[in-house]
Amino acid sequence: MAADNRYEEEEEVRTDDGSPITKPRPIVRLGIFLVAHSPVFSVVFSAAGVLALLLLPLLAKNTYISENALMPGSARSMLSNRDASDGSKLVKDIKNFRLNHEGQVQRLIGKYMSEMVAEVYYQKFQPEGNQFHPLHFFSGPASYTLLGNVSCASYGVNVVGIIRAPRGDGKESIVLVTPYDFINGGDYEDLSLGIVSSLFSLLSRVTWLSKDIIWLVADSRYGDYRPVAAWLAEYHTPSFKVSDLLKCDELNTADNFRRAGTVAAALILKVDGRSERFEDILSIYADASNGQMPNLDLINVVNYLAVHRQGFHVKVEKVVSLLSSSWLKIVGEIFEAVGKVANTLNPDWKFGIPAAEYIEGSATLASSLYSQALGIPTGPHGAFRDYQVDAITLKISPGFPPDSKARQHDFFLRGSQLLEGTIRSVNNLLEKFHQSFFLYVLTSPSKFISVGVYMIAFALLVASLPMVAASLYVDGCKALTKSTHNSAENFKSWKWLDAAKQVFALHLLGFIVTLLPYFICQVPGQHSPRNRSIMWGTTSSLLLVTFVTIPGCSPFSSRLHGTNWAILKSVTISAAFIGLCLMSIINFATAEIGALLLVPTCLLAQPIKPALRSRRVKSLLGAFCSMVLVTIGFPVIFFAITKGLVGEGLVGLSLGGEFWTWLESLWAWKSATYLYIGMVHLPCWLLCVCILFHPS
Amino acid sequence: MKEKKKDDGEMAEELEKNSYRFWIWSIASMIFRFCIILFPENINLSSRPELSTPLTSLCRLAEGYWLKQASMSPYSGSMYHGSPLLLSLLGPLTVHGIEGQWNHHLCSLVFVVSDILSAVLLRATGQQLEKAYRLNLRRLGLLKASRDRGILPCGDIAALVYLWNPFTILSCVGLSTSPIENLAVIVSLYGAVTRRVPLAAFGLIMATHLSLYPATLVIPLIFLLGYGLDAPPRKLFLQTRDREGEPGQDKLTRTTQLPFLWKTVLHFVFWVLVWSIYVLVLCSLSLKQYGGLEEMFKRTYGFILNIEDLSPNIGVFWYFFAEAFDFSRNYFLIVFQIYMFLSILLPLARRLKHRPCFIAFVYLAFSSILKSYPSVGDAALYLSLWALFVNELTDMKHSFFIFCGYIGFSLLSPVMHNLWIWRGTGNANFYYANAMGYACFQFMFVEESVSAMLNHDQALKKATAEMTKN
Repeated sequence: MAADNRYEEEEEVRTDDGSPITKPRPIVRLGIFLVAHSPVFSVVFSAAGVLALLLLPLLAKNTYISENALMPGSARSMLSNRDASDGSKLVKDIKNFRLNHEGQVQRLIGKYMSEMVAEVYYQKFQPEGNQFHPLHFFSGPASYTLLGNVSCASYGVNVVGIIRAPRGDGKESIVLVTPYDFINGGDYEDLSLGIVSSLFSLLSRVTWLSKDIIWLVADSRYGDYRPVAAWLAEYHTPSFKVSDLLKCDELNTADNFRRAGTVAAALILKVDGRSERFEDILSIYADASNGQMPNLDLINVVNYLAVHRQGFHVKVEKVVSLLSSSWLKIVGEIFEAVGKVANTLNPDWKFGIPAAEYIEGSATLASSLYSQALGIPTGPHGAFRDYQVDAITLKISPGFPPDSKARQHDFFLRGSQLLEGTIRSVNNLLEKFHQSFFLYVLTSPSKFISVGVYMIAFALLVASLPMVAASLYVDGCKALTKSTHNSAENFKSWKWLDAAKQVFALHLLGFIVTLLPYFICQVPGQHSPRNRSIMWGTTSSLLLVTFVTIPGCSPFSSRLHGTNWAILKSVTISAAFIGLCLMSIINFATAEIGALLLVPTCLLAQPIKPALRSRRVKSLLGAFCSMVLVTIGFPVIFFAITKGLVGEGLVGLSLGGEFWTWLESLWAWKSATYLYIGMVHLPCWLLCVCILFHPS
Repeated sequence: MKEKKKDDGEMAEELEKNSYRFWIWSIASMIFRFCIILFPENINLSSRPELSTPLTSLCRLAEGYWLKQASMSPYSGSMYHGSPLLLSLLGPLTVHGIEGQWNHHLCSLVFVVSDILSAVLLRATGQQLEKAYRLNLRRLGLLKASRDRGILPCGDIAALVYLWNPFTILSCVGLSTSPIENLAVIVSLYGAVTRRVPLAAFGLIMATHLSLYPATLVIPLIFLLGYGLDAPPRKLFLQTRDREGEPGQDKLTRTTQLPFLWKTVLHFVFWVLVWSIYVLVLCSLSLKQYGGLEEMFKRTYGFILNIEDLSPNIGVFWYFFAEAFDFSRNYFLIVFQIYMFLSILLPLARRLKHRPCFIAFVYLAFSSILKSYPSVGDAALYLSLWALFVNELTDMKHSFFIFCGYIGFSLLSPVMHNLWIWRGTGNANFYYANAMGYACFQFMFVEESVSAMLNHDQALKKATAEMTKN
């Protein structure tokens, strides 16, 4: 905004050339100074933006519990050995039950729950293929109740038990979820049921509970996400029509869906695979759709209890390939050295961190940014975020083989004590989580970067856009005034209209291209992703060709209008600036990665014709750089390069198929990144191509 | 002579071509609207706070109609706050539907028709203004026949800006009644420009009845009827007359020295009285069992002036009055409403009295910023009125910057709303910050337009002075 202001003031002074200028205010002079030297400053700002991004792991703060009411770990755990042996019994029973094929496991779990004085019910749901709804991106949670074509061939059954709180009024609840595959669940999955049932047996006896506890055993036959989403949809938006699913089975699920008030928080517990280490490892997953995160306090509580009370090794996801990268090591060592030097100068300056820690932090940060930028939830907790419920997934990898009875008991004890402590903290809450941050990225389970810090990197990166747009606009206007002497047609202030028309036309094209997959999916017949991507590519390029041939819309016909490329570039940069700023509010990580690509492409784009004609090394180098950037900036190529960096080389048509599948996953999860690619990145990229091949 | 004839022929041809193109584009806009209306209802525009306010929401109107059908006051339950006449007009259309669900297609048809009507009237108004502009330049001796072509057909431009403005399209398909309110305003302007006094009075009364704020238009309308169409300041004509003492010229310029036409204005006042009595009688008839006119005044105008509904909108008042203490509420209400009246209406009326249509634009823009329940439909109206003055405002400063600001903030508004309402990660401050930014840009737009208009007058003065010297 400040940059915009500068731009405006600048324009005022420049266009007033004829009249005597009174001395402008200092801020205006600063603005004029910035715009006048925009090439230098744009390089400085962009470099500073990249540097700030690299500095982020250094600037991470230690987490702290912001909400006083949480008081994690202040109460002694009430969980006894008896509760843990209840869990072991359930696990054993399930194993026997499955060996003897005695029917549905759900019933067994339901029986256990009702023995613990819980209200039990079953919910049937239909696995639904994710469809592309182009206009559902920003609406609220969609209702999943498709009552039309219901087939009894495939459906899932969730088991839900509710413990009513002795001190509560039934208006608030805490949800525990254990995804469980009832058909072919493994031994490790049984363990998660064991932990929660140990806890459940305790919670049915305690007197301090003031929020109802819901235990949802989600039928994960069709993925972890779908059953949880289906249950949540029915929990929040009751449908009054009777679904045909109810008739499918002898299991009566009609009319017994029970609720327990607003969900204060949700914990999803998964146990899978043995860890490589001897100790138990707890991984925390928190990213919901479109880079939304649960309140940081929830992660803090779990992390605090797991590390300081139960002795789990807590970790969050990181990009493993970065851990061994040499350039990151060099950067880390430089920062370490700078930190040391600063420390000798003034012992109060303590910003240096060891290089190893820096690398760990960067790898975690990269993974956080990546998963936020994709906008795809990393687990069933994403479904809760759609209803503004804070939820995280705890994945525990036990350090022992599943048949070790002795350690299993201890494992149950520790796991359920962790959950008990967390629930006890959440139970203390008087309001929903609001104290701590919602907008942050993690660099380790106990370190985070808040929005105020990471926005600086982004702001520095995009700050050069309005400056360059302003200076180009001024130059372009001058050039136009020189070329057209006819004062009647010389609309001083409206010269940008033609360029704006072209920019608008290409954004419209981007919008249509974004919607095209919706129609391609409607094409009858089965098509492989590769064919679909070919269809998409051909229709898009046909559209582009028609756009170019229509007079007036075409960016290549600009010679007729007398538009020069400077104004076109100025309008393009403004459009990119608006798009990036909007995206940074929707999903910061996408905007940051997008800005890293788009900002240099937009800034360097220049007609290559004069550069080739002049044959000077500097301009040839500039033309070459912009060509390279434009090539990388094309979404498909960028996708291929990232895949190549990860280690999957893709060439030719299989790339198209892969790209299509990737995009399909984006829109299936309603990721705004898809919209960003189609409606901001692609048009701006096309405009850069237009500028590159501008006939000037 | 021959050349001139040829010129005229060319111009006529061009005119025909222009009007041909105009109709194509307006029909295209109509088709575009129908496409969006018939699109599956998953857009759900009618619930957007940017489009439908408590005053303009059609859903609320349907509710009011339902209450009335059930023999209850349409104003009971604080749902409906619009005019009872609109209720009788649009209400029956809201209940006709298929399979029990109320169908909005009929209402949408009414809105599309009113949009088209507004555009046609705007075009006619613009043509009058263009003619006047041409005539005035000729009188000042600044316009040669060859440069005639540089003058843009502002009527066509204004009408197309109105039809293709995304704001207009959204409020048309988003089921808000603002197209009808805008139509009333445009009718009054058209009536005044073409000197159809009863029509002007009717439009003014209807617009005031529907949304109260157009009452301020009474000043520009009186100027328009009293002094005639927009023209450069009268001093300039006097200068030119002094320069050329020829009798023929004198006769021409004398017409510009028209005195204030009291008779027409009195005629206008008479018709205003007639129409207002007529409207009041109709309203009292329709609300006879439900508390009569007093109830209507309390529930419509009282609701507007008291800012009772504090649900979020794109205006600047809801947040302020949600935060203000109760004991200071009345004070702030009075201050804000008077601020608009004293600091904006009167000074502008004095400064720009030679350009009554432009005053109308400025008033509408200000009322759209400082309204209690603004929507983008109001912005659509003043933006298209602004386009009537493209010829005068060619030198407007910062146009690109303001344009970018408008686009940025109108795209940001749904994002901020989503952040606050659906995600819960933002709060009311986010949305309000957006509303303030939007208001800032509107102010900047109006300010730049006014200063460009004053600069235009200055430039004319300079040019005439130069001519006198020569």
